[in-house]
Amino acid sequence: MPFISVYVSIYLLVPLRSRGRLSTHGGAMASHLQARRHFAVSRCLTAKVPPERKPRERVEIPGLEMVTYGERMHYVPGLSKPVHPQWERDYKDPRHYRSPPAHEMPLYKEKPCYVYNQRTSALEGVRQALWLTKTKLICGLPPQLLSLAESPANQIPDQDERVQNAIKHARFWDTTEERPGKEKYSNTLLLNLLHLCATLQSSHPAIGRRILAEKYSLAATWKRGEDLFQIRGQNGLLQNCMDPLPEVSGKQEVGDTADHVLETFYPVSPTIDLQKVNVYKEMNCSGFRGDYPYPHAHTLYFLEGADPRCKLRPEQFRAKMFMFTFGNALVRAHNLYGPQRVLDRPVTVQAVGTNGRIFQFMVFQLNTTDLSGDDGIKNQVWLDEDVELYDFAKVRPLIKKKQVKVPAGLAGYKPETFSKFLALYLHGAV
Amino acid sequence: MAARTRLPLLFSKNLPPFKNQKLAHTEAAVKEPTYPPIVPSLTAKSKSARGRQVEDHVKKICASPVDEKLSLITRIQRKKFVVYPQTFARNADRWYQHFTKTAYIPGLPERFALDPEKRTGVEKEESSLPAGAQTTVPGVEIDAFADIRSLVTRMILQEHWHMKKRKPFLYREQEQMVGPFLRNLVTGLTYSLAKYNPLLPLSSLDIDPQVNFYWRRGQRIIPKGHRRGRQEPTRFQIDDQPHSQIRITQQLPQFTSLEASYAAEVPEVAFAPNLMPLFRRQYDNNIFTGAKLPDPACYGHTQFHLVPDRYHRDRMARQQQSDQVEVFLRANGLASLFAWTGAQAMYQGFWNHEDVTRPFVSQAVITDGQFFSFFCYQLNTVALSVETDANNPRKNLLWGTESLRLYESVQDGAVVGLNDDVVKLLVQFLVNQP
Repeated sequence: MPFISVYVSIYLLVPLRSRGRLSTHGGAMASHLQARRHFAVSRCLTAKVPPERKPRERVEIPGLEMVTYGERMHYVPGLSKPVHPQWERDYKDPRHYRSPPAHEMPLYKEKPCYVYNQRTSALEGVRQALWLTKTKLICGLPPQLLSLAESPANQIPDQDERVQNAIKHARFWDTTEERPGKEKYSNTLLLNLLHLCATLQSSHPAIGRRILAEKYSLAATWKRGEDLFQIRGQNGLLQNCMDPLPEVSGKQEVGDTADHVLETFYPVSPTIDLQKVNVYKEMNCSGFRGDYPYPHAHTLYFLEGADPRCKLRPEQFRAKMFMFTFGNALVRAHNLYGPQRVLDRPVTVQAVGTNGRIFQFMVFQLNTTDLSGDDGIKNQVWLDEDVELYDFAKVRPLIKKKQVKVPAGLAGYKPETFSKFLALYLHGAV
Repeated sequence: MAARTRLPLLFSKNLPPFKNQKLAHTEAAVKEPTYPPIVPSLTAKSKSARGRQVEDHVKKICASPVDEKLSLITRIQRKKFVVYPQTFARNADRWYQHFTKTAYIPGLPERFALDPEKRTGVEKEESSLPAGAQTTVPGVEIDAFADIRSLVTRMILQEHWHMKKRKPFLYREQEQMVGPFLRNLVTGLTYSLAKYNPLLPLSSLDIDPQVNFYWRRGQRIIPKGHRRGRQEPTRFQIDDQPHSQIRITQQLPQFTSLEASYAAEVPEVAFAPNLMPLFRRQYDNNIFTGAKLPDPACYGHTQFHLVPDRYHRDRMARQQQSDQVEVFLRANGLASLFAWTGAQAMYQGFWNHEDVTRPFVSQAVITDGQFFSFFCYQLNTVALSVETDANNPRKNLLWGTESLRLYESVQDGAVVGLNDDVVKLLVQFLVNQP
């Protein structure tokens, strides 16, 4: 019954075609990627595909020439299978390109490099990131920013009402359907809040010296002990500025960090979950070239739902924010001061991450690019984690046992969160 | 001796003139009708019954609040023509003008005329400069304009020169190269001009919003089916996605009065809409400005559109279709702005049977990165269906420019040939306020 074999072979083809990657080694491995045909038609027709049979091992006896059926141009039982030399196309066809194995690539190096990219989910989260970047963690935002948040001159007129309108627009009003999806509303909320902050440009003209950049590729390299680490990838929305951010902590505090001991998490290695590659290029690139008029990084904005394939838990999301902030700071320090030294003027970069309701605020100060040893001056990071902007934004009220537990609309708005957001935005422009 | 004269007969009529004046200001006694008014039946299987049902429905819609009005108007789904603002149909602007009863006026309204002699008190002292000096927008100082100009230059350079990007993917050049530039341009200009336009700090900026509108215009005879021979109104729906838009809390002032539109000419197209080509589908009827009804920023200010990737003006020039270049942009501006202003009018409670009492005004800029076209639209009437259009002299108006080049090219980290007029028009558009 021929149709059954066709049906089965199609069934076989479908799961195998999903293996999109070509193997780096041509020839021998390719056979297991071709569709494995199940030719039995009369008996033993099972829904489950039988396991692959290994091809007979070819034994080479030196001095003995195998008689093959090659010249006869057809199979002859008893003669061996001819071995033909590998055929290479004499022209370059990009659709049929097999990359050479790793050790033959021009950028191959013996020493592996551990790469942190935008889809890395670090096991130990922020602790791992702190160890990798030789940083001291301080919980809570620095006092200058908190006082900036509270000062009335730096507030938008009708701030609470406008922020609540912004949240309602992002959560309820942005679509013809009942409610927009999480990705859409977190993106819209961030853009609405940035719009609110930027309307202060009339009273704070320094805001006009900034620009937003998206989809820029960051590359930063550093050595830590024996190992080489890199950060690569397109991460989030970056706000660049013509002027650098002022340093957050003075020389005294920076000197005090030399006494701090980095937290290790033995027996877990700090390189866990990082992509280990042998083919890499040691580069430090901020994503911009030439004399860019906005050379200093001001703030990075991260969205949790930006990459639908990669869902990070809150701890891992904070680690990602932190690593990319560090990467941006490191690259700019490299460009300004050169590698491997303690910086006279620390480089400060901020980061804000959100999932549409909960915000993470981070201020990072790079004090040194000398990261090889565990001692000496460390970098500092101030982290304010899991700050809620509002409690609930429900389209239909939550009713349990005929009692309204959570009303419809926006509930539990907290104005302090937006003040912190605004303070981070206005830092450097006041 | 007072002879007793005989009063003339005529005089007697006038003699008690004051007697009746006492009654002149009272109304005649209202007589209660003994029978209820005779109206056609509501449920009979007759044309007059259908007419009465329609009238009752209209009265019900007029009497309900705005959100119920919208849901009653868009409740029933029927087959409708889906009008795409960005279409490659030939002479699409004439077709769209016919569907939306819009007259096209080339050029922009007088408000946006760039006249070097027109100066406000701010620049009076600059008039001593020689004639070759930079002119600027009235109300914006020369320094601020120079800042804006350099901001635009930096934005162009960031996307095309400074940022390390791969070659754009096939048919994604607009999204990858021009989209971020336009976003930066809109945001940068909005915030720089916020101090000149008090509406902008209170405005709402949407990125990638949705704009929908549903209306009826004209009718046709159903050719086949159980309803053959009867009249059916032609329904249209626009679903538009501009690149970005600015919505404000107050309405922009009108460009001309309602009466001035009576003289405008709207091209009539004698053919059925499906010959354009235009196709019919049945799905949810939506009327949406970009945000739902409760949003305080319910009026529109400016929309920004990107042309699609398959629109190449040099390819059209090679195929001797250079006139269609402008036709495409006009059709896009017309449809998008009609949908937006129509939705704004609907949000205020005006609809087919309750026509607008004040004109609704919005602006749009359509660009492909280098060429910019500017459009202004004034919606004077939303009563476009057959019953209401019969005695409606009002027409909607669209002003538009040809496409103007912003810059020639980017070479070696510098922008060559930046056109000041285009920057001035952008500034004027954003500074427009009541």
